[in-house]
This record gives sequence, structure tokens and C-alpha cells, in this order.
Amino acid sequence: MFSVILYGRNDSHGYNLHKRAAISFNALAEVMSDADDEILFVDYNTPDDHPTFPEAIHDTLTDKAKKVLRILRVRPDQHVRHRLKTHLVALEAQSRNVALRRSNPRNRWILYTNTDMLLVPRQEGESLSDILGAVPDGFYQVPRFEIPEMLWEAAFDRRDPAGNLAKLRDWAVRFHLNQVVHNYMPMKYDALGDFQAALREDMFAIHGFDESMILGWHCDSNLAARLALYRGRVDTLIDKVFGYHCDHTRVAAANNKGRATRMNDLDHYIWNVATPYVPAQADNWGWPDVEIEEIRLDRDTAYQRFTAGLDKAIDPATEPFVETSVEWQLFQDLTYDLPHTLPFVCDQMVTFPRSTALMLVAARSDFVGGFVKAWHGMGFSGPILVPMECDGLPTELSGVERAPFADLLPKADLFIFEFGLATQTATEPVRIGRPMTAIDKKRLKVIERLFKRAVALEAETRPEGRRLPRRFIGVNVIFNKFWTTFTNYVGANINPFCSQVLAGFPREDESLKGKVLKFRARQAW
Amino acid sequence: MKRLWRRPVTVEMAHGAGDGEQGARVHFRDGLMKMRSRDGEGALAAFDRALALLPEFADAVMARAEVLDRLGRGEEARSEYERARRIWSALPPGAADRRYLFRQRGYFAFESEAYDLVRSNVRSRILPHLAHGNALLARGRASEALDSYERALKVKPKLPEALALKGEALLALGRYQDALQLFDEVLVVNPKDGETLNSRGIARLALGRIAEANDDWRRQFELLPFSNSAARACVAMRQGHYDAALHEFELARAKAPKNPYWLLYTLTAARLAGAPAESAPVDGGERWPAILLAFHVGQVTKEALLCRADTPARLAEARFQMGVLIAGSNPAAARRHWQDVVDQGPPALIEYAAASNKLARSNA
Repeated sequence: MFSVILYGRNDSHGYNLHKRAAISFNALAEVMSDADDEILFVDYNTPDDHPTFPEAIHDTLTDKAKKVLRILRVRPDQHVRHRLKTHLVALEAQSRNVALRRSNPRNRWILYTNTDMLLVPRQEGESLSDILGAVPDGFYQVPRFEIPEMLWEAAFDRRDPAGNLAKLRDWAVRFHLNQVVHNYMPMKYDALGDFQAALREDMFAIHGFDESMILGWHCDSNLAARLALYRGRVDTLIDKVFGYHCDHTRVAAANNKGRATRMNDLDHYIWNVATPYVPAQADNWGWPDVEIEEIRLDRDTAYQRFTAGLDKAIDPATEPFVETSVEWQLFQDLTYDLPHTLPFVCDQMVTFPRSTALMLVAARSDFVGGFVKAWHGMGFSGPILVPMECDGLPTELSGVERAPFADLLPKADLFIFEFGLATQTATEPVRIGRPMTAIDKKRLKVIERLFKRAVALEAETRPEGRRLPRRFIGVNVIFNKFWTTFTNYVGANINPFCSQVLAGFPREDESLKGKVLKFRARQAW
Repeated sequence: MKRLWRRPVTVEMAHGAGDGEQGARVHFRDGLMKMRSRDGEGALAAFDRALALLPEFADAVMARAEVLDRLGRGEEARSEYERARRIWSALPPGAADRRYLFRQRGYFAFESEAYDLVRSNVRSRILPHLAHGNALLARGRASEALDSYERALKVKPKLPEALALKGEALLALGRYQDALQLFDEVLVVNPKDGETLNSRGIARLALGRIAEANDDWRRQFELLPFSNSAARACVAMRQGHYDAALHEFELARAKAPKNPYWLLYTLTAARLAGAPAESAPVDGGERWPAILLAFHVGQVTKEALLCRADTPARLAEARFQMGVLIAGSNPAAARRHWQDVVDQGPPALIEYAAASNKLARSNA
């Protein structure tokens, strides 16, 4: 019957976002009763190495919410063309249009709201699907009522949406929450963006939200103005449903800078609207030709993929624990425990697109063998690119492409550089002062050179169409001789030794030292 | 806000109170004013007066529902909300190929009041003037709508959207040449504006330039997405392309099976295209356009139909159908009916264009 369209990002948009959002997702799902109903959440521009916002809070969502939730992930590289035109990191019009394009065509209605709203049918037992199924075609709004922060934060149980809706029915009376704030037409009510229900067909006819609105604010009013023109009337559903907003003004959200807030031009986008349509985007609103990843929380989750990959690559431990050491005298010892390290490596990439092409530069053949199994087990379909310059690695692995480093560099979306000892065996103890052999030195020299060159040339060798820097993952680069090497070139955080892994983007070091390092790295091969 | 709601109602009432819709609108405004000043009982009385003059005045029913709701009379409010929605959805929809505002259903009394208030506060902006004009034009008040559009054009004299709407008002006023000139201007700027192509086609047809009118509709048809079968069907019907119209109306009916016009036009197009007659169940009734359908399938007589055809547009629709039914058996009589449509009907009607094309082809 209807598709709810929401958007957001895995960041901290305002106070206690996680609780507000969980309450809202669960409450919206609770008032759905049609098999086609869905919540479309566009996760916009969350960094590639982070999970989407709903994945980050999945444990607080009800089974019903997980079942109806479709997450559409817009990657940073898909947002980058707008980056210089806006101060915002999440764009409402683009997000909502991406979802509209991909909404269930069997649904008659699109409901635009936000991740801090609860919709309470006035008739207990009635669902929003029932309500929308019974009303005639139109453009509907409801007034927004505020819930003081204390109430929702202290009294709501995230995973009890029915209980929360019952509490709201009670509070509305006890605490006089229901105040209708009228507004100038075409905005029938204040804060109208928290409930605008339009026919899906109408939204397609008017070309969705206006995607030139990239400075934030007023997207909802612009839509109201255009739909009001298109439909003639703005109808109300106040007799059917009350909309409650989890107030969050203790801490201003990122796009709220008080009187200094930058926003879309009010006159241009509301008072001078002259047509329902946006002909300039008639053919491309909602990015119809862009492949948008869809993520579900009720199946094929990141956790399921992660464990499936590791189960293929490593066997369960046979000892209560294994040992290593950060004692100073062991600084030169490059041995590490592969089964322990591999989960931390996989953790770095499970959130990347499945089609990612990965360059793998490694010394240990067992690392390559194990990683390739995990890669496929995690459901990645992109190739693993292994430079011909790396000797001693298995050659007949499925999905592995061998070619000269220079040929592979422009194909890679992501890099792993593994600085282990080619001669380390699976059974030998770790970090007990083992020296490098000549073969180890030779292989590591190659890896170090390739690493430096890859970082130095990263910007100029990106795959066609890619504009954002590529991420580098270093394995066995903490508290050993490659720690400095790696962090001279890659802006990695300080990580615990135990993980063995660092990751980050090429450093933009404009100091003399940085320039010298970059110059030398370019000559590294 | 107060400025509008406190306007002396008696002045307005002197012009139109007790006189059908106009009078009902005056009481409606009175009710709105009382509603906003929290005089619930006074508002209810005013809306009752409006409804006594115009029982189907859905805007007053809806406003009445909101007052009852606020007064805590929930049961009464609920039935009034539903009544308003029923009335609105029973109003006949406009032709799907025309500009958006002609496809709307309603009285737009609340909208014309509300946008009048807005434009008195934001005089130098476009939207309130255009929306106000649309609310009036959709109810056939073309002269007042023209005034609103001209106010918008004072703010932005070359704004194509405002020029196009002014053209629509002129078209409704029968000033076809003036309308045509504006549509030409708009189409120079936006040659792919399908809605303006449709309107220019109507203006051209009204001026007797049928070939050029068909050119515009042909172009509009090409621009319409395949998904918009209802609009494509209507354009095909205007041009007298009954095979195409039949196909598109069938698609439109699949999407909106309750729209009585789509069934009527499907049957009409099938008959005129010589396709086998469909035995669709017809829910004939006394209301318009159900009675047209009933006539088409032989459930009512032409006398009964003509009795219900109480406006020039309805009369034209009726005469067109009368022609359709006898086109096979008595082509000359059919042509006479269609000539009546062209002589007396409004040029914006689909039937007017279809009849014009029928006559032109039979004369060729």
C-alpha cells in the first residue's frame, strides 16, 4: 500500500540519534499491515568502511522493522559530484529521489517522513495501511506534535513500539501534547516534512524532489508547493492519524547553526515556484542509471557474510589462547598469527561494495590463500588483483588476476599490503625473535616498493570515473619496522597491536618531509 | 492572517449571499473567520448556511468536520470528514491530457481564500498569485483567474509558466487568438512543454486550424511517457486515432478501473475503430457521467440523457455519444450530431476535437 521514505547517514545528527531512530523505525513498521509496505532508508554518504546507519543499530530494531526495511546505500563516490557545491554531507532531495525511483511499484502511496517520527492511528487497531487504502487520491499532510526530550528518552523502550504508541495516547492527554500549528498555504501545517503522503504516480509525474536544492532546508516546503499546485488541494489526515516528533533541540543538529544556518533560498524554492514539475531533471531524477546497493537486515547481513567468509578460511582455535609480544627487542620480528589476524583484515572490507576490485600485495602465501577463501565466502564478486612482481604466491586461485603492477594499479578500488615473512610456517611460534631469511628480505623489499609507489601514484591512477581516494589496508604494520613506513604514507589511526591491521587514505602531507617522501616513493620502482 | 479573516463579511454577502455557490462561498469565509477566532458554534452555523445553499460543498463539510473534531464531537466529525472525501472523489475528473489544474477535483474555496491571504502578505512573489488563479480557473472563474495571473506577470513578466496559465484563462474566456499568441511564446522557450502543446492545439482548433491542432497533439503524444496511458489515450482520442485510443484507454482502465470516463471512452473508441464491442458491466446511474455510459449501452434513452445534460459541455458530450451510437447505421445523422458538438460545445472538450476530426475526414 505504501512506501515510507527516510534518509540519513551513519553519523551523529543531533542528540541521541540512535534512540530516536530506533523508536521511529519500529513505530513505523508497527503501523504497517500490507504485504507490500516497506520502509526505504537511503543511507547517504556513509564512509565505505562503516556499516550503514540501520546496520549500526540493527540490534535495537524489531523483527518486523527489519523485515520491511530496505536500505539503499549511496556511496561517497556517488555523492562526490555534489561535494564542492554544498556544505552538507547528506542530501535530502537526492536521497528521497533515489528511494522513490526504487520504491515498490505496487504501492499506491509514498509517505515522506523522518527518523524521529511516530505515527499514531487515532482508531486503535487501525493500521496506516488501512487508512491510506481507504482514502481517495490526494496529497495529505498531518500536523506534527512535539514530544519533550525527557519523555521519549526516559520512558520509551526502543523495542516496544506498541507500548510506545500506547504511552503517546496517554501522554497526549495528560501533557497536552496535541497542538496543531497551522501555516500559510501551501504548507498546511508547520514542520510539514514529517508527514507528506503523495501518490507514487504523482511523485513520478512531478519528477520527485527538486535536486537542485543542495543547501539543506525547505525541501519539504518546495514539495508541498509543487504538489499543492499539481493537486489543487492539500488534504488532511488529522482525523485518522496523529504524528509525534521526538524533539531533539538540546544539541543542535549539524545543519542547524542558528541564524548563521545556510539554507536553500526560501523565495526561489517556495514563493516563486511556478510549476509542479522540474523539467530539467525529468530524465535523471533519482539517478535511474546508477546502480545503488540494497542491504537487508533480515537476510544476508554483514555479520552473516563476515562469518561465512571466515568459516571458509580458518578453523576454530584448538588452544585457549595464543601469544605474541610487543617487547622492544622483538621489534624486528615480523611473524604474526594468521588465523587471529584474518578476522581483523576482513573487518576492514565487509562494508565495501561487493564488486570492489582489490589489489593484494603480500609475502605470505598462506595469507593469500586464506584471504581469497574469505573474500569469496563474504560474497565479494570483484577480482583480487595480485601483481606479477610478487613471487612465491599461489597462482591458480579462483577470482585472482595476475598482471604487472602498473597494469593493475588503475583497476584497483582498494589495497591490501601484507608485510609478513614469506618463510613463516603455520605452526611456528610468533614473536620470539625470529630473524628474516634472504627470501623474506627480497620479498618484503618488493612489497615496500610497490606500496610506496601505489600510494604516491594513487591520485593519478584511479579507475575511470572515480574521484575519491582509495583506501589502503596494512597487515602486520603495528610496532615493527613497517609501522613507520606505512604511516609515513597513509593517514591511519593508532590501533591496538593485537589487531595487526592499520588502514586509511594516502596522506596529504605538504611539509618538506612529506614532499620528499612522496618524491622518493614515485621513484621506488 | 487576521486581516483577511476580519474582512467585513457583510460587504461580500451583499454581492452574492443566497445565490448558489457564490453565496455559499461567502458563508464559508464567514465560517473560516469564526473557526480561526475559536468560535466553534458560530463557525458551524456559518458552514451550515453554506451547505444549505450548496449541499455538496465539500470544503464546508471538511471545515465543519475540523470544528466538530476540535470540539470533541468525534463521531460527528468522523462522518463529516468521510462525507467531504466522498464528495470530492465523486466530482468528475478532467481530461488527463490537459494542464494539471484541469485535472483537479474540488471547489477550491478554501484554497482561493488561503492564497488570497498569502498574496496579500507576499505580494511580490509568484506562487500565491498562480495558486489563487488556479483555484479560480479550476472552478470556471476565468476572469478572476486572469487577474491573478496578470498580477504574477507583473512580478515576472516573461515567466513561461505564468504566461501559459494566462493563456489558459484566455482560452476559457474564448479569447483564442490572444491565448494562441501566449502559447506560441511559451513553446518557443519550452518546445517540449506537452501541456502547452495540448492547449495550443485547442486554441488552434477553436480558430479552425485543425491540421495545426493535430500537429500539436501528435507532438504531445510523442512526448508523453508510455506510463501515462490516460493522457496518451485522451490525446489519441482528440486526434480521432481510435485504435491507439482504444489501446491506451484499456491500459488506463487497468490502472484506474473506477474512472467512468475510461470505460466510456474505451467503448466509444472501440465502436469508432470498428473493434468488437466489449461486454463490460456498466453501473449506469442518474449522475454524470454514469448516465452517459448507461446511454451508450442502451440503458437510458436519449431524452433522459439530454434531460441531464445541463451545461454546454455535458450537452456536447451527450450529442457526441448520440453520434457515436448511430455512426454505423446512419452516418449522416451522426455527422449532424457531431456538427452540433462543434457548433455549440467548448473547444477544450475531447469530444469537440474528436467530432471536428470526424467531420473533417468525412468531408475530405
